Amino acid sequence: MTLIGELSLWVALLMAAWSTTVSYAGGALRRDDLADSGVRGLYATFAMVLLASIGLWTALLSRDYSLEYVAGHISTNMPNVYVFTAFWSGQAGSMLFWALILSMYGTIAIATSRSRNRELIPWATGTLSAILLFFIATTCFKANPYTHLDFMPIDGRGMNPQLQNPGMALHPPNLYLGYVATAIPFAFAIAALFTRRLDAEWLGVVRRWTLLSWFFLTIGIVLGMWWAYVELGWGGYWAWDPVENSSFLPWLTNTAFLHSIMIQEKRGMLRKWNVVLVVVSFLLSIFGTFITRSGVIESVHSFAQSPVGTWFAAFFFLATGITIYLVGTRLKDLEARAELESMVSREAAFLYNNLLLVGIAFAVLWGTVFPILSEWATGNKVTVGPPFFNTVNIPLGLLLLALTGIGPLIAWRRASVSNLKRQFASPAAFGVIVAVLLIALGMRDVYALVAYALCGFVAGTIIQEFYKGIRARQAIHNESVVAGFVHLVGRNRRRYGGYIVHAGIVMLFAAFAGLGFKTDHDITLKTGDAYDVVDPYGHKWRFVSQGVSTSDRPDRVSEGVALETFRDGKRIGIISSEKRQYKDSQGNALFEKSTEAGIKSTARLDTYVVLAGVRDRDTAEMRVTFNPLVVWVWAGGFVMMIGGLIVMWPQAEKRRAQAGYTAVMPPAGAGAAAELPVTV
Amino acid sequence: MTTRRDFLTRLAGGAAAAVLTAPRAHAQQRGMIMHDTSMVSKDSSNLFVMDQGAAREVRLPAKANAVPVLDADARDALEHRIRCQCGCTLDVYTCRTTDFSCQVSPAMHANVMDLVKGGHSAQEIIDAFVGVYGERVLMAPKKSGFNLLAWITPGAAVVVAGVGIVLWLKRWRERSAGIEAARATFVPPTDIDATPEELERLQAAVRGDDDR
Repeated sequence: MTLIGELSLWVALLMAAWSTTVSYAGGALRRDDLADSGVRGLYATFAMVLLASIGLWTALLSRDYSLEYVAGHISTNMPNVYVFTAFWSGQAGSMLFWALILSMYGTIAIATSRSRNRELIPWATGTLSAILLFFIATTCFKANPYTHLDFMPIDGRGMNPQLQNPGMALHPPNLYLGYVATAIPFAFAIAALFTRRLDAEWLGVVRRWTLLSWFFLTIGIVLGMWWAYVELGWGGYWAWDPVENSSFLPWLTNTAFLHSIMIQEKRGMLRKWNVVLVVVSFLLSIFGTFITRSGVIESVHSFAQSPVGTWFAAFFFLATGITIYLVGTRLKDLEARAELESMVSREAAFLYNNLLLVGIAFAVLWGTVFPILSEWATGNKVTVGPPFFNTVNIPLGLLLLALTGIGPLIAWRRASVSNLKRQFASPAAFGVIVAVLLIALGMRDVYALVAYALCGFVAGTIIQEFYKGIRARQAIHNESVVAGFVHLVGRNRRRYGGYIVHAGIVMLFAAFAGLGFKTDHDITLKTGDAYDVVDPYGHKWRFVSQGVSTSDRPDRVSEGVALETFRDGKRIGIISSEKRQYKDSQGNALFEKSTEAGIKSTARLDTYVVLAGVRDRDTAEMRVTFNPLVVWVWAGGFVMMIGGLIVMWPQAEKRRAQAGYTAVMPPAGAGAAAELPVTV
Repeated sequence: MTTRRDFLTRLAGGAAAAVLTAPRAHAQQRGMIMHDTSMVSKDSSNLFVMDQGAAREVRLPAKANAVPVLDADARDALEHRIRCQCGCTLDVYTCRTTDFSCQVSPAMHANVMDLVKGGHSAQEIIDAFVGVYGERVLMAPKKSGFNLLAWITPGAAVVVAGVGIVLWLKRWRERSAGIEAARATFVPPTDIDATPEELERLQAAVRGDDDR
């Protein structure tokens, strides 16, 4: 199987090259036979890459240590789950994994839209195959998982125990699924530029795949945050690390696109801008991989630093160059002819939403690459860390949050003063009430107050939308609240699924604002000693050390501490934290020391204990962190995922064809937010 | 470990050079025995390569009859602004309080403590660290000189683009208003041999409604 896999990889290389060549030729010469051959070539590439992947999985699961990749990433005593996920834990495997997803996506995208986009297909197939060709070539020549060792080791090197965590098993593949999905809209955008055609079918394909990309990136990012929080032990979940940033960048541009595409659907506006967003999302994905893989920017995730970086740089600049050329020469052919009726309209709100999302993306990108710029310009190395990103992004983020509430309240085309008043009254009151309450409770931090007031406002708009919708259904169909809710969401998934995503965003912002109230306490306790401290809400906590324990197990030595914990005099339970040093069978230390944080979560507060180390046998040095509202990050991520699923859930063909034009005739009073059909 | 400069040089040298040098490096790697730490640092099995020797001495002569001007909270806040050099990318405070295996952040912390004891202010301590390690020791660049660009550019870009959008919308609105006015005065000819439906479709085409 290993041999079949290795050979399949090389056949896949040839297939991708063939598909690229004949697809573009078929498009340029308008020869259907060539175009069809290109499509079949893409399918064949998928089959070959799949075989190559099965080969690698087989080698991993059968512990075939004659392969450098297998020997370098797993060991005999590892659970099979992580042996399976080791497929994408290293450089060579993740390249192959990328090719696998891309060829699978490409096959699905082309197969499902082939009959409807005849003219675009050869160009889209050619572009997908060209990207695939790059990934397979990189795998073959620069990071081949089938590289053989000259000898057969008895056991493999194993995997860093910090990576043996469910979050880490799922975080990379989700990110890959998200990154790679940007390639499909990109291929169709390139096809639109080549053919100068961009119609509703194009919109459908591009929107679906961008949504898919957004969905997986959301899951991947949130899982990464969760893993960092529970596993790395520094008490936070987001550090503005370059690699984190590079996953955030395409998420931002995808989000911008998912909003501005609505303007194109409803009003035929912004076609050029949407093409640009699609293209940028893909280039940012490639840029992200390039950053991750090249080591060009200092990062905790400095995985492998190998010549793959150079290949990625070349590919990135080539792709960017071609795209800029195409956009520059062809974009004018995609001119829109719609009219703008008012500066106060949902169209305008969406434009500002796009401005902010892309502005944040720019700020993040700028901060990420600034060390390179600075080194070029002045020769000085600088660090651009969290203080920078927080300072720059908090104001933009708050403005964006405000627009999350404003957007759905403003009517399409033209908003009148009276409907603005009617729409804004309750949500704005809601926001003000939240702010007044918090001030009364003693909150003085301006940013946090603004954030919570806006959270209240946005939550108010979401509730108002659901309330009006359900009331309307009740008036017509005489339904219960629950049935009304289910039908409301079910009949208009995009709109109400979108509001559910917004609800998730509100939770995230509320949690982020809570970070401002985080407190750290360095504690040194002997057995039996107690430490008293007050949390950000004013509750009194007492931690009593139950002593330090050491355990020497075959695979690791660990030191642990257990704290009996009381809140306001009431016993909460034991919180324990461990420091682990993994070792091999000879007792040699493997990897750096790792931390098992002790976390007690409630909806309001996480109490996070990290053992820093042990002195004099029974003195534990620890850090106790009170992290308000962290749970809402995970909850918000989950709600966003649910909202995303609702939006993505396939609808019957007839309804989907109309998506975006669906007329929800409002009963009197639902007024402004009604979506009237625009097209004839 | 490839440094940034190495990488950029190689990039400038072109992909060809990398392709030429790669097979040799590869052959070396294949000859390696397992459990060699140099291999560990090459792959994702390790989260980052810790450089335990990265700490350097940051000292200033104590001030005459020195009184510490920073309390513990101010000192911790200061340590949040200084970056640990072990490779963790965290600040000194966070690293030293969570990662006991790092020897760099405690050493840097000891320097901070001495400087505080010597009566130096936060700014003086920051400057001393920058003097020894260079500006990269700060968690964010200074707001001066070339690095001021880092801070200004994002906000400036958003403001410029925002103003651009407003102007563009205004122009578009005016153009649209012109079209609307023209349409308002447009009287469909009555002597055309067409049904009302056909006329409506024609008007829709003129308005560009079919243009999604």
